[in-house]
Amino acid sequence: MIHFQGVSKKYGHDSTALHDVTLDIAHGEFVSVVGQSGSGKTTLVRLLIAEERPSCGNIEVGDWNITKISRHDVPFLRRQIGVIFQDFKLLPKKTVLENVAFAMQVAGETRSRIREVVPRVLDIVGLKQKSERYPYQLSGGEQQRVVIARSLVHRPKILVADEPTGNLDTINTQDIMEILKKINQFGTTVLLVTHNRDIVNQMKRRVIMLCEGEVVSDEARGKYRL
Amino acid sequence: MLVFFRVIKFAWQDMWRNMSLSIMTLLILILMLLSVNTLFVIRVLTNTATTMVKQQIDVSIFFNSTSTPSQISSVVHYVNSFQEVATSTFMDKGQVLAKFRQHYKNNKDIISSLDQLGTNPLGATLIVQTKDPADYQKIITALNAPEYKNIVEAKTFGDTEQAIKKIDSITTQVEHFSFALTIFFGIIAFLIIFNAIRIAIYTQRVEISIKKLVGATNWFVRGPYLVESFIFSVFSVAIAYGLVLVISHFLDIYITATFGQSAFLTSYFQSNILWLVGIQFLVVLVLTMFSSLLAIRRHLKV
Repeated sequence: MIHFQGVSKKYGHDSTALHDVTLDIAHGEFVSVVGQSGSGKTTLVRLLIAEERPSCGNIEVGDWNITKISRHDVPFLRRQIGVIFQDFKLLPKKTVLENVAFAMQVAGETRSRIREVVPRVLDIVGLKQKSERYPYQLSGGEQQRVVIARSLVHRPKILVADEPTGNLDTINTQDIMEILKKINQFGTTVLLVTHNRDIVNQMKRRVIMLCEGEVVSDEARGKYRL
Repeated sequence: MLVFFRVIKFAWQDMWRNMSLSIMTLLILILMLLSVNTLFVIRVLTNTATTMVKQQIDVSIFFNSTSTPSQISSVVHYVNSFQEVATSTFMDKGQVLAKFRQHYKNNKDIISSLDQLGTNPLGATLIVQTKDPADYQKIITALNAPEYKNIVEAKTFGDTEQAIKKIDSITTQVEHFSFALTIFFGIIAFLIIFNAIRIAIYTQRVEISIKKLVGATNWFVRGPYLVESFIFSVFSVAIAYGLVLVISHFLDIYITATFGQSAFLTSYFQSNILWLVGIQFLVVLVLTMFSSLLAIRRHLKV
């Protein structure tokens, strides 16, 4: 599903974010990528959604070769990878419903299809009753659930969650993790990037540990060991 | 087609939800257009004023009182044969005397002197107006030929020559100044609009990056801004032109007193509406679209 082969990313001459990273993630896996700040976790996500290009190496996501992807194809790739960010990245001038619908509108989906799918995903994340609210009228946990709903509308095969619980309290963190587990159970590959020790240990799934841009451990049922 | 309608919908939605920013952009565009229209007014007023002054200048050719009608007729024909001549008015001796008497009707000394003479001492006169004041010299030079020396007594152009040169110089300077002012206003307007749109787009840079991250193509992101440029252009030109017509209506009261033509500015802006609105709309549209595309370019690299 996801294949990194000898991937490095350098910023300038002396700043290396990732160094010779090789890893494979299979379809349906739930993988946590952990590491301290500056270990290269976010760079990994940015490379995956073609926000950045690798300095060297090869990245494949499904049928896409990210290393060679053209600018024209990038939007189409992003419609197939659901991404959840720590800072939510919701459109502030759009309602909950509009934010979720927007991801379908950019893909040229019909109105009837949008009307069918959006309420369903909002129901999954428990926000059907708040569909007409604006992001600033929601709590952090609710905003993150909107982001998850938005990432689900295209039925992505991969869901990348970059520090999804970084701005949330314990209760909201548990809610979000439950939703991510549920999504994974439906067959979606989930890549969780985090430095939250508790949730990684609680998951008891595969853990890839990064340190100074290199993969230092990759365990099938790992724990946060830093 | 679906995407196109969505782009239009998002443009309206963005404008509505960023109302203060939209009003600010619209106001700047209207102010710029009012400045440009002020330049049009200055230009049309100076042109009309100089044309009026030029129309009041003529050259009078005074014939000797001893010149025969055939001699006078040959000169009149000769002068009228010049392509540069716009109009010519011939007054025979009797008409000149009547006009002279009318002019000095309150000066008893002159009238009584004329009566004592018993004969008409005045010769016929030909008043000539050329299409361009610069052409007067050509007529005068032609009449300085030896064969006309005994027919033509005097020419008044010498008195007005300096005035014409002065008017020509002022007209040229006003035109240069007006052109320089137009260029200056154009640059200022471009900088103001470019920066206003750049600020408007800068405030939405996070939204632009989010749209890109959820899979919007560059044209899907750019589209609403281009549609907004179109809407801003339509509204700003319509409002500014409406204001110009209203202001013209009030200014016409003062202009009528000077130029003697009623509704001078209003009729100018009404009769040239297609050309003036068209050119202003086109310039504003190109300016706003160019500014939008340039400002948004850097935020699309996500």
